[in-house]
Amino acid sequence: MFPCGQTRREAIWEMGGGFAGLALLSLLEADRFFPSQARGAPPLSPGPKRHFPSKVKSVIFLMMNGAPSQVDTFDPKPLLQKYAGQPLPADMKYINSGGRKVGFLTPSFRPFRPGGKSGLPISDYFPRVRQHADKLAVLRSCHTDSHAHGSALVAMNTGSVFVGKPSLGAWCVYGLGTENNNLPGYVVLMDKRGGPISGQPNYGSGYLSAQFQGTLFRPGLEPIPDLAGPSGVSRGELRKQLDLLGQLNQEHMQSRPGGSELASRAASYELAFRMQAKAPEAVDLSQETTRTKEMYGLEKQPTDEFGRNCLIARRLVERGVRFIQLYSGGGHLEDTWDAHTSIEKNHGLHALEVDQPIAALLTDLDQRGLLDQTLVIWGGEFGRMPFSEGKGEPGRNHNPYGFSMWLAGGGVKGGQAYGATDELGFQAVEKKVHLHDLHATFLHAMGLDHERLTYFHGGRDDRLTDVYGRVVKDIFS
Amino acid sequence: MWAGALLLLLTAGQTDFEKSVAPLLVRQCLGCHGGSDPKGDFDLTSADKAGEALQGGLQGKLWEKVSSGEMPPKEKGQSRNLNEKEMEIMRGWLARGAPWPKGQTLDPLEKTTENKAGRDWWAFQPLGKMAPPLPGLHPVDSFLQKKTAEKNLPLAPRASKEQLARRLFHDLIGLPPPQEILEDYLADTSRPAWEKLVDRLLHDPRHGERWARHWLDLVRYADTNGYERDADKPFAWKYRDYVIQSLNAGKPYDQFIVEQLAGDELPDARDETLAATGMLRAGAWDDEPNDKLEYKYDRLEDLVHVTATAFLGLTIKCARCHDHKFDPVTQVDYYKFGSAFWAGDLMGNAGIKPGEKELLVWKDLNSKPEPLRALKKGDPRKPLKEVAPGFLSVFKQLDGPFPPSTSALTTGRRLQLAGRIVHPGNPLTPRAAVNRVWQKIFGQGLVRTPDNFGFKGDLPSHPELLDWLARAFQQNGGSMKSLIRLLVTSEAYARASTFPGEKEWEKFDPDNRLLWKMNRKRRDAESLRDSLLAVSGDLNSRMGGPGYLPNLSADALEGLSRKGGAWKESPPLEQNRRTIYMHLKRSLIPPMLTTFDFCDTTLPCAQRDQTLVAPQALTLLNNEFMHKRSQGLARRVKEKAGEGLEAQVRGAWIFILGRPPAAAEELAAQKFLKGKETPGALAALCHVLLNTNEFYFID
Repeated sequence: MFPCGQTRREAIWEMGGGFAGLALLSLLEADRFFPSQARGAPPLSPGPKRHFPSKVKSVIFLMMNGAPSQVDTFDPKPLLQKYAGQPLPADMKYINSGGRKVGFLTPSFRPFRPGGKSGLPISDYFPRVRQHADKLAVLRSCHTDSHAHGSALVAMNTGSVFVGKPSLGAWCVYGLGTENNNLPGYVVLMDKRGGPISGQPNYGSGYLSAQFQGTLFRPGLEPIPDLAGPSGVSRGELRKQLDLLGQLNQEHMQSRPGGSELASRAASYELAFRMQAKAPEAVDLSQETTRTKEMYGLEKQPTDEFGRNCLIARRLVERGVRFIQLYSGGGHLEDTWDAHTSIEKNHGLHALEVDQPIAALLTDLDQRGLLDQTLVIWGGEFGRMPFSEGKGEPGRNHNPYGFSMWLAGGGVKGGQAYGATDELGFQAVEKKVHLHDLHATFLHAMGLDHERLTYFHGGRDDRLTDVYGRVVKDIFS
Repeated sequence: MWAGALLLLLTAGQTDFEKSVAPLLVRQCLGCHGGSDPKGDFDLTSADKAGEALQGGLQGKLWEKVSSGEMPPKEKGQSRNLNEKEMEIMRGWLARGAPWPKGQTLDPLEKTTENKAGRDWWAFQPLGKMAPPLPGLHPVDSFLQKKTAEKNLPLAPRASKEQLARRLFHDLIGLPPPQEILEDYLADTSRPAWEKLVDRLLHDPRHGERWARHWLDLVRYADTNGYERDADKPFAWKYRDYVIQSLNAGKPYDQFIVEQLAGDELPDARDETLAATGMLRAGAWDDEPNDKLEYKYDRLEDLVHVTATAFLGLTIKCARCHDHKFDPVTQVDYYKFGSAFWAGDLMGNAGIKPGEKELLVWKDLNSKPEPLRALKKGDPRKPLKEVAPGFLSVFKQLDGPFPPSTSALTTGRRLQLAGRIVHPGNPLTPRAAVNRVWQKIFGQGLVRTPDNFGFKGDLPSHPELLDWLARAFQQNGGSMKSLIRLLVTSEAYARASTFPGEKEWEKFDPDNRLLWKMNRKRRDAESLRDSLLAVSGDLNSRMGGPGYLPNLSADALEGLSRKGGAWKESPPLEQNRRTIYMHLKRSLIPPMLTTFDFCDTTLPCAQRDQTLVAPQALTLLNNEFMHKRSQGLARRVKEKAGEGLEAQVRGAWIFILGRPPAAAEELAAQKFLKGKETPGALAALCHVLLNTNEFYFID
């Protein structure tokens, strides 16, 4: 039995790739009935199957939902000062997302300053992250395929503007398996204000098996849905129930010798029991020192929530969770980074919420020797326009043509900016990095070749990067 | 003598071309250098088109590219260079001046190669006419037992009557048998007891509810648009009800197809057939596409994909950008097929205006749409030549131009397309249909890739049986119920899913492709939820109408971008209706469904995942819904059995598993209950039983 429309030979092809797979395939081809040699290999057993060596074990994706403005954060454009108040040159074509008011070129709302030994410029929205400048590789020439949140978020997460493709996290777990059998391999921590537009497909597994989909964790004592019973059944009582269940299942299996799925299901109850014990521990921050909690900005506003999530992310990395995505911003408009009415108000708040926690996370990972094995990704679904929307202390409209993301840890060479937007920060012009290139680069950091991480679907070997993607090798040391 | 030698040489050359050169070119080169948009503008299908490249022998361009290893290029990092033998053929041919039989054009799609299916691929051939090979047996058994006998496989014994009843209830209506019916059946020793039960369930309206869900998976049905606003599709549920009613009414399959594709173009169009076209509107739809021009073609792809997958069991959407890599479907075929939908409102999804019928319908905007052109690499800004509406060229006899419309309002193209899909000369449609039914009845298809009968799909385990069934299905006027009846009255259906010593035989056919035993099934999300409601006595069996919104935990609502007001759960009684009536919001499919491998609602799904993961166990152990069922059950058991411990244990077993407990089980249960004289103790026992493998799996 293989997932949605997949044959055994397709599954084996994807599973093995390479020559072992080929040899097996030819065996199967010889007798289209698939003899017993083909059996025994589970469709996708957990465990690293890297295409080339990499130290990276985990990814933390800091998703700035709503899209931060590049010219106000990581992509300084001094010329905006000079041209302030003028319209965007007429030859710079764009889609006016949502048909909003078009204002005039507007310089960064806060000054940029050099950070670290490298002097990488970062604006005053991120003073603490700036202290880690030498760890960051800022990709300033990113561009994507959609100007609307719904499809752009899905694109940033799955490579396609259409819902239904597996998400980046699902691909990572599909490719590398999990290192902790007591926890899900792919965990998503939402912002309390709401989920991302387009919902579950943002962290879904698409046509990959459902076991690779993201599991929503939330801070608190019940990080996983249904982890604890509603009526407060004690652990001792639950154990008794599971013992009886085990006994009944055992009786049932005795007269059914050929049923491995019966044993698997019985075992899944034991894993559930262990998860009940282990998952709360993974998010139990009472085990952290006061100093650590202070560093992440816990117990104070507005950093408490994102700080908690960052700290949980570090604990999950320590416990071998493969892919962790943290959302900053949730729901719509000003509850996210979607600064239509005021960059200063919007980014002023959201940056303040995340600056200290992110800086703490980088420090903490570094101190614990985890930074090399953790790829940290920061960015939103697109960028924002260099011109204003509205008057007074204005906001900026959506811009898929140019925006910045940064990477840290995971073999990335810090203190550098890669690629460039034009002098106004409107669109990527130099060493352009398309969404597919980003994904190819993320996978590369994990030791995965985006062209070989495939799954047969819809009549072809489909992949995260469709038929595109270029690894930005220059950013790795 | 000279003349004779020359003739010999000439024919040798020709044979050489036919036998080795042409197959080599088709296999290794024409995949790119042929078809409607040859790579590098180099077309190798005829000597004329290839032109200069063939000249110059071993100093020529073709040999330069091949001998240097530049061609054929690498694919996914793997070399595809010619092997020594092929290299020799190529060298010899070019050295002789590349002789090419005059006027001959290579048809890259004619024959199946190692890489690609041709028009001679099995699925496109007319239905075979083989009669059941072993006399005196049910036709299904006749075909199956021929193969098991050839392989010397044993046949599993008949399953017990209880097992059979549970199996049939699960497969036909998706619910466990109520105790009275089970007892009646067990007591009925008359010969046609089984047939009576089969007919009873086929006529039960809950049969349509069960099987409609299979169909809804296939047509990517949901009640909202998805994407940012994820707005409701007004009256989408009328399409869902149309499917249920059609299946219950035993509507002929051809009619079922025609109504969904062209219910508005039928001479006797009425509300029912109009509602059927809701299928074309059921997909995900972005009201704020980034690139409107491109999105129009994306919408077209959705319609082509769902139509080809659901009705033909063929993937043709990859021919949007180029000829199909694995199947004999050209890019022109894709646009011919797609023309049927080109006149429709691909971009709009306007709500229902006042005075209009309260139905979600598809219709053409006019009878003379702008011409549809194929697109170079699928790019809407690079249109190629105009494509006339038509069918797939692989079916030569069905591949004529569509007659012009006689109506001022509609193109009639969808009716034409539907006519070709259901045409008796098109073997794919009945093959795909019977294979799907077989899959649901026997647990896996005769072709295990029910949505792909092409090159990358599975080969049929029993091609003659598949064809015999397809033919019988056609002859029965496409009656689904007759087909189901035929399958479940076979001996194969009644076999046990397990028997002592089976492990010995498993190694000969580990996947049970020859059906020497029954495949064990597991409850899908709907059957599980519905059965839990049924055994606890809570199932509200009201049929049809708008869907209900289930209660969702705060966790699940975390995932919703518009919190608050967006989710107003229905009254509890409503929520106890069958799962098929649950309102499906694309951005918020309830975890109770997704955890149990509910299908993706954006793409046609002919086969759901089957996972066994810990979050499922957590849900069944801890979810509030489960605790309500256990408590309901405990009440039911007490009502019937009174306060006696023994009677309660017995009652719990009968209600949940449909049988009394065995001695060891009874003992274990009593031990579990003892010393726990709390009101919750019996509910806890019921809770455990609901979690058992016996409840979850269907023998």
